[in-house]
This record gives sequence, C-alpha cells and structure tokens, in this order.
Amino acid sequence: MEQENFEHRTDLSQLNNAVTEIKNMLAKVIVGQQDMINLLLAGILADGHILIEGVPGVAKTLTAKLIARCINARFSRIQFTPDLMPSDVLGTSVFNPRQSDFEFKPGPVFGNIILVDEINRAPAKTQSALFEVMEERQVTIDGNTYRMEEPFMVLATQNPIDQEGTYRLPEAQLDRFLFKIEVKYPTLEEETAILVQHHQQNTAGQLQEIEPVLTAAQILEYRSQVRGLYIEPVILEFIAKIIHETRNNKSLYLGGSPRASLAVANGAKALAAIKGRDFVTPDDIIEVMPAVLRHRIMLTPDKEMEGLTPDDVITQVIHKVEVPR
Amino acid sequence: MRLIVYTVLWICVATGFNAYAQKPQKFIVDSTNVTVRHFNRASLTEYRLQKEFRYDAQAVDAGLSWWERFWLRIWQMINSISIGQGTGSALKYILLIIGVSAIVFLAIKFFGLDLKLFIGKPEDIPVPYEESLENIHEISFADEIEKAVQLHNYRLAVRLLYLHALKKLHDSGVIRWQSDKTNSAYVNEIKNPAKREQFSLLTRRFEYIWYGDFPVDQATFGQIHSAFQQFNQSRA
Repeated sequence: MEQENFEHRTDLSQLNNAVTEIKNMLAKVIVGQQDMINLLLAGILADGHILIEGVPGVAKTLTAKLIARCINARFSRIQFTPDLMPSDVLGTSVFNPRQSDFEFKPGPVFGNIILVDEINRAPAKTQSALFEVMEERQVTIDGNTYRMEEPFMVLATQNPIDQEGTYRLPEAQLDRFLFKIEVKYPTLEEETAILVQHHQQNTAGQLQEIEPVLTAAQILEYRSQVRGLYIEPVILEFIAKIIHETRNNKSLYLGGSPRASLAVANGAKALAAIKGRDFVTPDDIIEVMPAVLRHRIMLTPDKEMEGLTPDDVITQVIHKVEVPR
Repeated sequence: MRLIVYTVLWICVATGFNAYAQKPQKFIVDSTNVTVRHFNRASLTEYRLQKEFRYDAQAVDAGLSWWERFWLRIWQMINSISIGQGTGSALKYILLIIGVSAIVFLAIKFFGLDLKLFIGKPEDIPVPYEESLENIHEISFADEIEKAVQLHNYRLAVRLLYLHALKKLHDSGVIRWQSDKTNSAYVNEIKNPAKREQFSLLTRRFEYIWYGDFPVDQATFGQIHSAFQQFNQSRA
C-alpha cells in the first residue's frame, strides 16, 4: 500500500534480487538457519568481518564456504591450528638466489573472502597477525605495506570457548568483527529435513549447483548503496543510548565501544536494505544489536557465575532504552 | 614347587624362628587421691526460686509479656483440639497451614508484593527509565493534530495520529503501552487478524514518514488521516 504513496529514493531492486538468489542457492544445501543467513548477508553488505560460533556439526564452515561460492571473488581458507605462525597467515620474505634479494610471498590472507576456520584454536600470537589486516585492510611486513584488494572480508568460525583446545580471542580482535553470529541447533522439523535431504543423497549434487551470483564489483556497488541509506537522527540517538547503557550496566565489566555504535548503524542499514527499505527503523537496530554486542561486552565475574549470558544482558539493556517514536 | 615351600617352612620351624606381634605393654596405674565434690544445696534452692528455672506452665505464664501470652493461648487451643485419635494432630497442622496462608495473603495484599519475583523470571523486564518523550495519555490529540495541520507539518501530524491509535488500542486493552516496545511488537500483540493487518499497514505508513523522512503533502495526509480515523472508529 505504501508504494502508492511513497516512491523509493534508492533503487534496491538489484540488491534484493541478488539477496533472494543467494538465499535460494543456500537453501539448496542449508536447511533453515534463516537468521544466520540474513545476518551473514547483512555483514557482507555492511563491509564487515563475521565470526560464526556454534558447537561442532551445525554447518558453520559449510555455510561460510557456500557464501564464498556465491560470490565470484578470490577465496582462500586458513585452518587455524595451535602451531600456526603469523607468517603462515600473512606471508613471508623469501631469499631469491637469482636476484640475490628477498622476495615477498603473500600468505593466504591475500584474497577477497578469507575463511578462517576454527579461529580460536590458534594462540594469541597468531591472532595478533590479523589485527592490522582486519582493521586497516593492509599488511606491513619488513617495512613494506601491502594493501588488500576490495572487497576484503574475514569469515571466521569457532567453537564455544568452553570446548576442548580453544583459546579466548583477544578483545581487540573480537571488536574488529562486525557480527558474532551464534548458530543454534536446528529445530525438529529442520533436522528431519536434513535427514531426508541426506537420505536422498542430494547434498553433493546440490553443492555443485551453487554458482556465483555476485561479483566483487557488484558487492562494492551494493555496499555503496547501503552506506547511503537514511537514518533518522532519533534512531542514531537510540543506538548511542543503548551503547552508552552497556558502559554503565552493573552486570557488565566491559561495555560497547564507539566501533560498536558504528557497527550497529551499518548493520542495521544493511538489514533494512535486505528488507527492501531505504531507511532504518528501531526494529532493525534491535535485531542487529545482539550480533554486534555479544562478543564485545564482558560480564562481571559474579554475573558470569550466576549463569547470565551476554544475550540476557543485551535484552535487559535494550529494554531500558525508550524506543523513539 | 609345593615341595620347596614345605621345605622352607620346615626349616623355619625347626631352626626356631620366633615371631612377635608387638612388644608387651606396661600399664601405668594412677594412684592419686580423688576428691568427690558435691552440689551446693543452698545454691540449688536459690536457683529453684528464680523464674528462669521454673518450668511449670503457671510460672512461665506469669513472667510472659502479653504478646507471648497470646501465642501461648493459641498454641494451647490448637493442642486442645482433638477429634478422635490421629485426626487431632492432622487438623492441627491444617489449621496451622490455613492460618499461615491467611497471614501471607494479607501481607502480600497489604504491601502490594509482586509474586512473580518468587515464581521465576518476570514476564516484563522492569524499565527504570524516565519517559523522555511525551506521555501519550496526556496529549490532547485533536488539538495537537489540528495545530500541526495548520502549520502544514504533516509529518508531525501523522506521528500524532499514530500515537493516538496506540493510545486507543491501549485504552481498549488490545495492546499494553510500554515505551520500550517497538511498533512491530504492538502489531504482533493484536490478536484479531483483520485488525492486525489494518494496523500493520498504518504502522508501515507511519514508519515511512517518521523514520524514513518521506515527504507527505496535504493530499497524502488526507488519505492517511481517513485511514487512521477508519481504524479508530472500527475499534470503537
């Protein structure tokens, strides 16, 4: 009905078509997990890195691989292990006897979409190798700086921290992830559908059917569209109030950073675009807030002992702030 | 093998190997004189005269305050109740439970306690904010909308129309107004599918104008105004 009265200022039809196409592609292999897929797509459109967390066997890596497959860009995968060195990720200078000089051999981080599998199985030394490249999109080695090619995106997967053989990621690195998406177990119906699909042995064939839907250039174009979406000043104030509240909340030892505020705004814009709107509503903010904050905030030890989760506190914080209307 | 074992045993016995469990112990006899002490009869008589040591009922009753005497009577009454063997004690406990429940009920009613605190997670998280925006229950909507229209501020007028619709829904018990709820939360609260659909469309129009900053002219406002009026009338 609103189309009769309101004409869109931004043409989001191509973006929406691409999103629908990717969703359809993923639906051939992935059963359910719609929230995760929506947030993944929002993360791509918001130009952010994404951390996917879940127990083993909930299709985290598969989803990340499929997303990468839907995009026609340079994809590389790094399996994080306890003995991985920073040079294994970034690259290293190797002596070239012919030229009698050192030559830089780029590491697997030089790509467009980087899948970092099991990111929390590598120690802090290796994690710190990603700091510069994730934030500044560049790598500095031996005094030379190498720029990453755009689009550049890190898709990382990890098991929950309480699982065997995992390290806690540094806060500085966690803050560099736009979203932390938690993958839950499938519902009963979804689990049945997974079994049916597996029984019919369709998965392998359908994996081959996944074709690139987006090009790197298109992603850059859509990102530019998303950046230009409208946010009413009262909505920006709403974001600031929620983030500010996390810094004063007694259940929290560490609140959201200004980078978190920006992440909420950018993530909400991307979600609005996926929904076909060229402006942001409070619903977008509330939807994106847990994914932006859950890895950035830290509970006080007593609240952690009480069994409170970051998501519980985020819900409480959101309810403390008045929705602008 | 057995032969070897027997041979070794025979050698041990024959050569006179002796084994002792422990050395014999010496017993020490305490030969000091024991002096028997007796209670002081005078002190005992003195203690018996003190009320703290008089355990008979009358003596206890005499030294009690009125509040303690009241409870003593209550307990005596409860103890005196006996209807046949076995049922007396059961009835006593039933009466006790009823009495305690009545006191708890009266306390809850008197102090206005929230029982949900004890049952588990409260349904709604308390919101300790102060409402910075206007209270929808205090706005004179007709006047404010009229003013906004006269100033050609149709965007504000649409916002007021939406707030008015929310107030009407709250007053009729369809939704529960709470400042931390989003518009979609209100839409989902409406149980009647037709009403929900109607309100959903109005919400989308409001959101496009208020959050989306879409321009609204007099003609568009006229359409929206009549849609809101129709919705409000249908509520009544």
